[in-house]
Amino acid sequence: MKQGGIDEERRRFIAFALTPSLIVLFAVAVLPAIYLVVTSLTPFQLTAPGSATDFSAPLRNYGLLPGDPRFVNSLVVQAKLSFWGVLFQVLLGMLLALLLNVQSRFVEFARTFFLIPMVLPPIVVAVIWKLIYTPDISPLYYAAQALHFTMPALTSSVDFALTAIIIADTWEWLPFTFLMVLAALQTIPDEYSEAALVDGANRLQIFWYVTLPFITPILVISGMFRLIDSVKAFPLIFLLTSGGPGTVTEVTNYYAYLLAFDTNEIGYSSAVTVVMLLLVAGISLGLVWMGRRREAMA
Amino acid sequence: MKNRADQPARAITRRKLLKASAAGAALAAFPAPLIAQTKPFAGVTLHGASFQHRFFTLLQKYIPEFEEQTGMKVDLQLSAFPVYNQQANLELSSGGSAYDFVNVTFILAARWVAAGLLSNLDEFTGDPNLTPAEWNPKDFVEGAQVPYRDAKGGTYGYSWEGGAMVMGLSRMDLMEKKGLKIPKTFAELQQVCAEINGTDGASGIVAFRLHHWNLPPYIQGFGGNIFRNPPGDIMPALNKPETIEGIEFYAKLLKSAPKGVLTYTEDQARQSLLTGRSNIFIHSSAWVTPILLSEESKVKDTSRVVRMPAGPVHDHPASNSQGLGIPKNAKNKKAAWEFIKWALSPDISMRLVKEHGHSSVCRRSIITSDAYRKLNTVNGQDLGALYLEVLELPAKGENYMAYRTVKEFPIVGDVLNKAFEQVATGQLPAKDAMNAAQDQAIAALRRAGTQL
Repeated sequence: MKQGGIDEERRRFIAFALTPSLIVLFAVAVLPAIYLVVTSLTPFQLTAPGSATDFSAPLRNYGLLPGDPRFVNSLVVQAKLSFWGVLFQVLLGMLLALLLNVQSRFVEFARTFFLIPMVLPPIVVAVIWKLIYTPDISPLYYAAQALHFTMPALTSSVDFALTAIIIADTWEWLPFTFLMVLAALQTIPDEYSEAALVDGANRLQIFWYVTLPFITPILVISGMFRLIDSVKAFPLIFLLTSGGPGTVTEVTNYYAYLLAFDTNEIGYSSAVTVVMLLLVAGISLGLVWMGRRREAMA
Repeated sequence: MKNRADQPARAITRRKLLKASAAGAALAAFPAPLIAQTKPFAGVTLHGASFQHRFFTLLQKYIPEFEEQTGMKVDLQLSAFPVYNQQANLELSSGGSAYDFVNVTFILAARWVAAGLLSNLDEFTGDPNLTPAEWNPKDFVEGAQVPYRDAKGGTYGYSWEGGAMVMGLSRMDLMEKKGLKIPKTFAELQQVCAEINGTDGASGIVAFRLHHWNLPPYIQGFGGNIFRNPPGDIMPALNKPETIEGIEFYAKLLKSAPKGVLTYTEDQARQSLLTGRSNIFIHSSAWVTPILLSEESKVKDTSRVVRMPAGPVHDHPASNSQGLGIPKNAKNKKAAWEFIKWALSPDISMRLVKEHGHSSVCRRSIITSDAYRKLNTVNGQDLGALYLEVLELPAKGENYMAYRTVKEFPIVGDVLNKAFEQVATGQLPAKDAMNAAQDQAIAALRRAGTQL
């Protein structure tokens, strides 16, 4: 009886402590999301009075999406950007963490140095890369010129524009995966690799059979975080290419931005955003499910 | 018996009546000066909004004088261009009364005027008690006023800024060496750009990524347009042969531009011109004339600013203006008019020119004044006359800038931007890109509820 009373009191305390956070979370995350969904069911346009409350054809926006070539293209561009961006960030982050997972003052300094891109405001990162990619003022182009090598204009080239965004995005977020993997590497007891060495395993085998299984969950989690975040590569695209040339780098959130802020189609833009939200949620849940399945199998 | 303190506050005494009569008689005799003396708007807080622009930054220096004269407070909210347009759209469309005066944005003017969201300013200019004769509404350049008129000729805004497209040439020294003259036709422009490109490290031409501003003069030059016959007929005309010809011409022209020009910002293009890295820049005068006027310019001695070349069919350099107006539901309309009248007065306009070198004003009397001409004549080039000439053009004959004042322009303009980039980068032949653009523009307009 007394035990139950303590439990009840504890539950009440937890509920009491959590309530303010839940209220704030509801106000800043859930309410706008609900409003987004509600808006997506209307033909809301800033220039059309009354359109925000017109629910006469609630699924009209969603019905139009499959026939909108720019929306379909934006999904494809987003998929390419996310896939290559996350792949590079996870692989390079892991490689860097493996290289710098040693005790040394220099390496400690190097680790701090590598974190700089991640802590810079995204718009500053975009400006840095804008300078690097602008042919007539870029040190990259001066170097190429000195080596008698002709470089195309990366951000306005059909073949390189998306790659240019992926490179900048990787530079910015590589430290995140590096930091995560490094933290995981430092939790691996030395005994495992020492035992493997005694058993005659080479470095590659130790990595494959000892290190990799330890850091795989972290790689999956880092990849998942980066996948979700890759959908928000907005400042880079806004500043470097404006989605161009043509629609080569026009990802879904940039298209949604154009619809909402350039052409005032708030309702349709909301529908685009809701679909994007569902896709990201679906992918995230899929990855979580895969992770749990793997754990269960282990 | 009641003492004075017990008397009702509104009781009219003989002395008060005499005072009021005297004040009324004086107001009728000398209406304008009395505003300063009687301060009829004392205690009023005037709320206004616009996008950030140098004009308002400069005007803010003078606003304390206006507040002192009238007794009112001015709360001027300045936001980034897209942010302001959304706020104002929402505020005006929803019938709000948060603002007493607003910027009437060029690209939204036709919609706001047609939808009756603004007050007819003729009611104020037509009343001699509210507007003294010397304010002279007809002094505003006609071409800059066209967007703020309704079909009946009523005026809903007065322009505070004009943008007239002109051509700057930074390397006349190179052109003279090669025996090239200032191009006056599209064909000559193409030839000059191609011949100068690469000479002494200079590009033939520079531009920036707002293609739907830079490109239409070429489309119109070949006889095409963005819409079939705006503002009445807004069926997109993106795949007409004349339009395609204009697109192909401009894409070819940009082959003489610096690498990466498709992603250039206005600032990048301006710097390229000011440092002589690009020979030609065709844009609003405020962006081009600094080659002659700015201290940053490294090419003052070798520069010229002239009319942009004419097309084979039309000579239609782009122009625009921004206006000040009063929302239909504003709470303090007379006070707002007092502010607009003051902000756009000949006196303030001239002070902006003289004290700050701000030349893009829209009062003819100022632009043609000796003081303006003196300040804006460089190396024998009368920049004011050029500015005025281009700004006037849309009011002569057809209003060829009407395409940009219809509310559907942003949607079609966005499609045009994308299609042009596809052509310029060789992703699609012009005909295919523009056929696809036409379909996309129609679909987007229908999606947005436009009846075509």
